[in-house]
Amino acid sequence: MRVLEKATQKMFLGNGNDAAAQAVMHIGFDGEGYYPITPSSEVGEILSKAVAEGKSDISFVVGTSELAAIGICTGMALAGGRVLDVTSAQGLLLKVEEMTSISGLGLPMVLNLSCREVNAPLNIKNGHSDLAATLGFGWLIFMAPNVQAVYDMNILAIKVAEAVGLPAIVAYDGFHTSHANRRIEIFADPTDVTKFVGDKPARRNILDVEQPTTFGPYMNDDVINTKVNLERKMVKAYEMLPALFEEFAALTGRNYNFVETYGDANAESGMFVLNSAAEAAKIVADELIAKGSPVKVVVPYVLRPFPAKEIVDAIGPTKRLVVAERVSQYGAANYMENEIGNALHKAGNCHTELISRVYGIGGLNFRPDEDAYPLFELALNWPNVDAAAKTLEGRFWGAWPGKMDYNPPATLKRLTTEETTWNAGKDKIDLKELSNMPTRIDKQSACPGCGIFANLNLFMRGIDGNVVFLFNTGCGMVVTTGFPQTSFKVPYAHNLFHNASSTATGVVEMYHRFRAKGLIKEEITFIAVSGDGGDDIGMDQLIGAALRNDPFIFLEYDNKGYMNTGGQLCYTGILGQRNSNAYVGPGQRGKQTQHKDIVEILHGTNAPYLFQAAESNPRDMIAKARKAQATVRNGGFAFGKLFSACPLNWGTDPAKGNEIIDKVVKSCIHPLYEIENGITTLTYNPEKVNAKVPVTDALGAMGSMFAHLASPKFADEAAAIQAEVDARWDRLKARAANPVL
Amino acid sequence: MSTYQLPYQDGRGFTNCLLSAIGGDGANMAAKLLFKLAAEELNLDGAYDAKYGSEKKGTPTDVSLRLCTFGNPVRESGPNNRPHILCVFRENLIGSLNLNRGLQANATVIVNSCKTPEAIRDLLQLHSGTIHVLDAAKIALETHSRLNMPMMAMLAHVLQFPETAVLKKIKETWPKALDANVAAYQAAVSESVSMTFAADGKYPLVEPIEVHSPLGYDNMLDGGCIDSLTHSTIGRNNGYARSNPAPTFDREACIDCAKCLTVCADPGAIVWKENKMAGIDLNYCKACMRCEAVCPETKKGKALKDPAKEGATSCAY
Repeated sequence: MRVLEKATQKMFLGNGNDAAAQAVMHIGFDGEGYYPITPSSEVGEILSKAVAEGKSDISFVVGTSELAAIGICTGMALAGGRVLDVTSAQGLLLKVEEMTSISGLGLPMVLNLSCREVNAPLNIKNGHSDLAATLGFGWLIFMAPNVQAVYDMNILAIKVAEAVGLPAIVAYDGFHTSHANRRIEIFADPTDVTKFVGDKPARRNILDVEQPTTFGPYMNDDVINTKVNLERKMVKAYEMLPALFEEFAALTGRNYNFVETYGDANAESGMFVLNSAAEAAKIVADELIAKGSPVKVVVPYVLRPFPAKEIVDAIGPTKRLVVAERVSQYGAANYMENEIGNALHKAGNCHTELISRVYGIGGLNFRPDEDAYPLFELALNWPNVDAAAKTLEGRFWGAWPGKMDYNPPATLKRLTTEETTWNAGKDKIDLKELSNMPTRIDKQSACPGCGIFANLNLFMRGIDGNVVFLFNTGCGMVVTTGFPQTSFKVPYAHNLFHNASSTATGVVEMYHRFRAKGLIKEEITFIAVSGDGGDDIGMDQLIGAALRNDPFIFLEYDNKGYMNTGGQLCYTGILGQRNSNAYVGPGQRGKQTQHKDIVEILHGTNAPYLFQAAESNPRDMIAKARKAQATVRNGGFAFGKLFSACPLNWGTDPAKGNEIIDKVVKSCIHPLYEIENGITTLTYNPEKVNAKVPVTDALGAMGSMFAHLASPKFADEAAAIQAEVDARWDRLKARAANPVL
Repeated sequence: MSTYQLPYQDGRGFTNCLLSAIGGDGANMAAKLLFKLAAEELNLDGAYDAKYGSEKKGTPTDVSLRLCTFGNPVRESGPNNRPHILCVFRENLIGSLNLNRGLQANATVIVNSCKTPEAIRDLLQLHSGTIHVLDAAKIALETHSRLNMPMMAMLAHVLQFPETAVLKKIKETWPKALDANVAAYQAAVSESVSMTFAADGKYPLVEPIEVHSPLGYDNMLDGGCIDSLTHSTIGRNNGYARSNPAPTFDREACIDCAKCLTVCADPGAIVWKENKMAGIDLNYCKACMRCEAVCPETKKGKALKDPAKEGATSCAY
């Protein structure tokens, strides 16, 4: 074989996401389709920053959803591009239909998966349920137990992916690795990486007009043959990997294999565990061996193709193997437990007993002392262990039963219709009188000065009687319902990311069914709430509810970004706005498009009541709340957009929210108007009171995310925003003046 | 460089530091800078891991910084629960988070506070070690720096990092705010008050036990839902989220215009009784000053005032 000289390495300080981004930049990718989700968002942010700084020329496209993002990747790959995506948890699940298409079409790409628990109730921390879902997707799967391996596996993954024509996942643990800052080694010279990875092998692509190709035909009986080829590619990857590991070790001094056996290879007790927990297990294996208790850790670096032979060899003479998994396959033996069991069976190994444990779900730490030691003890002592360790509950390491004598008293009285009725029969809006309306949402853990609840609570003063809330994922949901407490005094449900509108439709449908049957006496108003991000990913469902004219109110708090995940770009953002994935630099000047106008999009649905309101004009907001409630009581759909301050991501003084929103309204960036059965009415016209201000007055007050747009350097952007805002405002005025429009 | 000695070493070769702060304090940045310094200037290895979650400004957070000699394996991830050095950005976190849990014997504790080291010892129930107290908020204000600068300075000082290396990293990281940050560094080191407490038996060592919710798999509601009447946040104290004093209320100056309630980010904070404003509920108020900003000037002045504007510092609330 070739004798390779070691390529110079240098120190790099960063977390798992940094390491992935660093590898991506060293490899050289053509494109990334992107959508933010914790804890993987940072990879795209780092790349987009490099684009803005002129350090990377990757085509970086932000989609409206995870599905859109990977659809963009599919297109890039069909065009022959070297393509990247990053995701976690439900983000991956939303991509699923594309993921199987990509492997089916034989398109190589890399997906960095910062593993996160998939669950309701929502959890953003580590778990391997997203990874487990991908096991049968026909993707290569590389495992990165630590920050160093994230960098290294990215380099190996793309090489194998392109060589065999399959997409590859690099899986590392959300937070435990993605956010763990470590000192690692990287190639000092990126050309050593590009030399190792090599050029993209030629493959058919859709841009080749000389050799026209049809991708993705319709197939009947022939599909099974594509599966044979997919399986063959896995075999090919399996066959080429040993030489690649060797070549990589010669270049870097860093040794990888399908499986690492750590500790005493002859030990009778051991633990099979994936990713970061294996690192903690290694610490304890060393200590146990030093104390005279031989143990081993078996940790794979590749899950697909599944290295059955290597795992059987690594287990070797071991008699008791704890198979610890950060996921559970409910009602069946666990994922790795099944695969290892099958491998052992086929190899004729009858001496190894597998002891299944489910650990670390939802980000629970896996510490050497508190977790790895007891699990090794289990392997060392099995079957002579506590009876409790053999129960269903005992299998879930780290779960707890709760205190059965815990029976807290009610601290909240349910709100009655009487005490929440302050608007009925009143034309006048008396803010003092309405101050007696009890809050429906109370004492949350939002940032000081958060606009979400200033808006929601003000709006709710115009809503009488019983209310049920349905929230999309976002800050509004996260800060109100940290288990086991809730800030909601009325019934509430959160459904993921984009689903609140459809969920509301289902709830309202049943409400009317049960009410018609006389099963429900109370009158209830249903209110769905979303951030502006939820109306990117959930735009189709929102439009669907509007088209069906489902009788509920949908409120969007628009703070111009994905603020819950770190201030990423949302389509509502202003042209030139600085986002954590749309930086301002020599290579890019912030967001590239004008702000989305969701009310105009919904205008086309002919929904009966659409409006924009703002906390700067409280009586106007209350009036619109009353009309929205009247609309849904009348059987129609109502939508309102509330401009909402985000002191954290805007970088503004929390005290100034109301003052800033006032400027935004007066600049007509967020005009106050309503569309009632197609008739547009301006409910506040700053021109009539001589209060209209240039957009730069508002942007200059909106903090570091926007303020640069008021500086002379961004005069072109400011002029373009002003022109767009004026054009939209002129259209509104024309419509208000002429009901036919 | 080679003369540098880690001040502590646990059985796995690490000095463990835990920074306890609230979101927005800059604890993460402080740990990042010290980790960079340790690796680049002192050729140490180690790790820093922030608390995991969807932290908002004002919610408690922590950062672990672990240091070891280069070559020592760095394997554990997640926050460290047995610190040798505890650095507390907000004194009120001590009690609410039981920060003595897992703290080692002969610990070093840095607290942003105006209290005496003796008072902090009792608050923390420290087994043994040295407590350094400094009014970091005041230092930050006076030097036009940020809270994390004096806190980081003290942490660097107790880690015995060479001053030249610390100042070099500060300069690299914040070239524009160099003078302010250097002034904060020096003020922190010179103005802190320290006292050492022997293992006199006054307080025991406390194991780092995870505190679980009383609700577990046997008694939680199906699907993990929450009963609103018995598990409302209304009984909770949100006051810890204040990084500046809450507004003061002058009943005499109030005209009950309800503007404060209209703009409040958590309107339960404005106590409204019988069509009258009755004051601020400190269990809600995060001191965002939205209410103070809209409170009208009356003949008797503004009813809501921001104490910070009148010169009050962290020690006044």
